Amino acid sequence: MHTEVKHNPDFAAVQVQFQQPGEQIVAEAGAMVARDTAVQMETNMRGGLGSALKRKLLGGESLFQNTFTCTQPGQTVWIAPAPEGAVTQIDLQPGQEIYLQSGAYLASSAGVQLDTKWQGAKGFFSGEGLFLLRAYGQGTVWFSSYGGIHVVDIGQQYHGYVCDTSHMVAFTQGLSYHVDKVGGMKSLFLSGEGLVCRFSGQGRLWMQTRNPGALAAFLQPFRPVQRSSG
Amino acid sequence: MQVNVLYRPSQTVAQVWLQPNESIMAESGAMMGMSTNVDMQTQSGGLMKGLKRLFGGESFFRNTFMAQGGQGEVLLTTPLCGDMAVLDVGQRQWQISNSAFIASSTTVDVQTQGSGKGFFSGAGLFILGTQGQGQIVVGSFGAIEPVNVNGELIIDTGHLVCWDANLQYTVGKSSNAGWIASYLSGEGLVCHFQGQGQVYIQTRNAQEYGSTVGRMLPPVQK
Repeated sequence: MHTEVKHNPDFAAVQVQFQQPGEQIVAEAGAMVARDTAVQMETNMRGGLGSALKRKLLGGESLFQNTFTCTQPGQTVWIAPAPEGAVTQIDLQPGQEIYLQSGAYLASSAGVQLDTKWQGAKGFFSGEGLFLLRAYGQGTVWFSSYGGIHVVDIGQQYHGYVCDTSHMVAFTQGLSYHVDKVGGMKSLFLSGEGLVCRFSGQGRLWMQTRNPGALAAFLQPFRPVQRSSG
Repeated sequence: MQVNVLYRPSQTVAQVWLQPNESIMAESGAMMGMSTNVDMQTQSGGLMKGLKRLFGGESFFRNTFMAQGGQGEVLLTTPLCGDMAVLDVGQRQWQISNSAFIASSTTVDVQTQGSGKGFFSGAGLFILGTQGQGQIVVGSFGAIEPVNVNGELIIDTGHLVCWDANLQYTVGKSSNAGWIASYLSGEGLVCHFQGQGQVYIQTRNAQEYGSTVGRMLPPVQK
């Protein structure tokens, strides 16, 4: 199959052009933009109910995923995330793994396995959900970011990196992190910076240039006020 | 200090490179990431200074980031989508609309302007003024556009990013036909600039955006 991410970084979409019958793409429920009528679409809880529930409850992903199967060469499927922003395409080789922040997963080719990974108590304090989605196997995985994507290669240009928890999108398996505050105790409450992930090791970190929480916080004061009678 | 502006024009991030022991002061909450050798300190600059800044619509606290034991990097961002500009301070001093301020060299003093005209404008226009020498980073909601004032120009207060401190300005209603006509025009308050100098404007107005989207959100129960 031939794939291309178009319209980065503002309004990215993935165009998949199948070359052989039987080729498959799995995408988050609701991510399909368009498809050729003869492309077979199947909605299922991938990996069965238990695995799907775990992904939904723990990884923040949808309960259902759609599988698109090519029936004739040259068929097309378009996939896009819900919020505005960029899409990143990663080609995984056997033995490679990437970890995605809840909600970042968009789609993958048939050879990619998805799993949720317990992050221990550190996930609890990060405010980003307890679990990360782990993608491994052989194939292509697409993930989305809110805003543009900024790549940091740790272990080469940087010895480590500090990333605001709400800007963390994905990282490769050579990295480890712990959740921490920046500055002293005064900063924890007054800096407005919240918590950060301190990364070390060797690998790649993807960060998003905006965060949906900041947009929600901006809009909050504009909500109408309803006074309860009595 | 070197500032690279990345991912313009809508997903913009300021990548600040600091020399060893060099620091930059940034608006609270603007830090998206940084190298591990950067140390962050939170300062209010004294209670009165902090309070004055709070009245200026700025956050009470600002953070100072200092590189230690080598070059450091800080990434700064804004809550809304838009562009950024890096401006030299020294020969020219700037006045900045409060929501546009992102960061400044520590050799630049950024203070809330004491004059009442900004404060009482009612359009959320609070003004910061620069003194000293160095650089500032400002951000826009939407695209950013430098406009030259040669004589006079009227600009909606919600579209102001920053302007040359040499320019004279008055804040007032948009229409000459009176307050009611001005209100009905939907243009609200404007800045009437006079003189020679540059004004950076933004192509979207955050207050308009907030009220357009905000009224569609479920009400807050009080």
